[in-house]
Amino acid sequence: MTEARKIFHRDLGDVQQELVRISAGVVESIPKCTAVLLEQDLAGAEVMIMADDEIDARTIDLEDRCIQILALQAPVAGELRQVISALKICAEIERSADLVVNICKAARRIYGHDFDPKLRGLVLKMAEQARHLFSEATSAYMTMDAPRAAAIDDMDSFLDDLQRQFIQAIFESHAAGRIDLQVAIQLAVVARFYERIGDHAVNIGEKVRFQVTGLPPEHSGAARHRQRAIGDPTPLGGVQRPQEVPPTSE
Amino acid sequence: MIFVLGLLSGLAAGVVSYLLFVASSKNNSVVIAEQATSVDDEQPNENLESLLLIRDAVNSLSVGVVVVGTDGTVIFRNKLAESVTGVVHSDVLVEEVVEQHLSAALNGETKRQVLDLFGPPRKVFSVLATPLLIGGAVAMIEDITERYLVDAVRTDFVANISHELKTPVGALAVLAEALSQEDDFDIIHRLSEKMVDEAIRVGRTIDDLLELSRIEFGGEAVKDEVDAEAIISESISRVSPLASTHSIRVALIEMPQSLKVVGDRRQLVSAIGNLIENAVKYSEVGSAVEVSAEDEGEWVEFRVKDFGLGIPARDLDRVFERFYRVDRARSRDTGGTGLGLAIVRHVANNHGGEVSVTSIEGDGSTFLLKIPKYVSGKQSIMRESA
Repeated sequence: MTEARKIFHRDLGDVQQELVRISAGVVESIPKCTAVLLEQDLAGAEVMIMADDEIDARTIDLEDRCIQILALQAPVAGELRQVISALKICAEIERSADLVVNICKAARRIYGHDFDPKLRGLVLKMAEQARHLFSEATSAYMTMDAPRAAAIDDMDSFLDDLQRQFIQAIFESHAAGRIDLQVAIQLAVVARFYERIGDHAVNIGEKVRFQVTGLPPEHSGAARHRQRAIGDPTPLGGVQRPQEVPPTSE
Repeated sequence: MIFVLGLLSGLAAGVVSYLLFVASSKNNSVVIAEQATSVDDEQPNENLESLLLIRDAVNSLSVGVVVVGTDGTVIFRNKLAESVTGVVHSDVLVEEVVEQHLSAALNGETKRQVLDLFGPPRKVFSVLATPLLIGGAVAMIEDITERYLVDAVRTDFVANISHELKTPVGALAVLAEALSQEDDFDIIHRLSEKMVDEAIRVGRTIDDLLELSRIEFGGEAVKDEVDAEAIISESISRVSPLASTHSIRVALIEMPQSLKVVGDRRQLVSAIGNLIENAVKYSEVGSAVEVSAEDEGEWVEFRVKDFGLGIPARDLDRVFERFYRVDRARSRDTGGTGLGLAIVRHVANNHGGEVSVTSIEGDGSTFLLKIPKYVSGKQSIMRESA
């Protein structure tokens, strides 16, 4: 193996290792931001919000390194997929870290307001499920385990279900006068953040499968669009459009 | 930690590079022998034995050790350090800190960091990296979770006991002072009632403390044959007045006939009674508490289940500590002393059993108390363990 190839492989390994480390940091930050929210820890919220800047910087560096590899090494086949997957996973992780920050910001907005044990219990359940999904996605990427990555999508439906239960509980709590409207809205938004973290974990799983198998993920929306486009090759692809009204003469 | 540093400094003085090679060769005895021979041709076997001995010693340490050469390449990891390079996210984070600190140590800096990881399970690691005399660096990874939690328990206990005893005594002093300067009969009556309440509260705390110390230091527990259903019935009747006040139904779930345990009837009634009382206090008005006992081989498992507030996950490990409060304000309202669950834990220990809790906030909690089962004609578990 030439020296250039050795450096190329080392760079690919470094990219994967750095990505795993940033992702592990996000896994750890999910229960932390939940503790900030439930314990109304303003100082903790500030620390976590500031810590996100480091994740931003690291993901930007990582993207630069991927682009550099693409430009200088022109990888093909599996190695090209490895770099493309890393680029895409990098964006998913960065966005998930932002969602963790959003939860901390919501904690600041509802500071001083208590919410009942049922809501707290559901927040903990959502947080644990989101953490579990992200941890699975990180491990699947670390070990390049395609079946494990595929299971993340199935596990995500439990988190979606918890979010629905939580929204229902917010309505009940608000109707009973236990939380005011501002808190109700903030909590609903927090539920959305956890649910989105789960979605990002699913996306990482899809990228792992793509890297390992070379098969693109099945996007149900894209599949529907293609099906419609068979009958109508225009950009809207068979979508019902409003009837054009002829201009009236004045 | 000091021992490890001393050990590694000794290695650095003479044989470190050979030890590292030997260790990293993973039991390749041929290579080990060759290397050891080249250390000192006159005493090859002695060198080999010393190196193997030191490698085994470092491997048996309860501290993870990672050694890097001058170029930063890892040349040795002991067994414990190997175990934190897994696929769990917390391992990745520990590994990252170790790498950062080792690179600082290679520049001559000694770095230490305490890494508090949420997990689950929660883990606290201390990572120390220091330069070696002959070049290279060593990092030590120590799991200090236990020590960290014990420190927290000790600090909180001192703060809590002084709070629990000083608050009612302080209130009594203030009320007595106000009473001594008051002429209005209604106000005197109101102040007197408050004084009685505070006196009852401090009396209850002292009673519980005495009960706890009796259970804790009262010598060996009585080993009678006790009927499980009788324990539950007596415990329920003890808590009935409180349950009626809160309109909470305490139900005995169907259980096997003539199920018996080995133990001290009074202590067991106290433990189950405390669990039921706790469940009643933290349940919503009008809800239910379920009590059951099941035959589980050599054990009888008593369960007390409520559908109340539940316990936050962060408090689950600590609710059996003396005076530990999940919600200080709420606990005060319920009239609890903060010692009930500590008593339960000591009763469990005295009987060679155990107590645990599972809980989800908003869904309720289930406490499980395991006590050795009485088997006729067979020596009891408690006697065996004693």
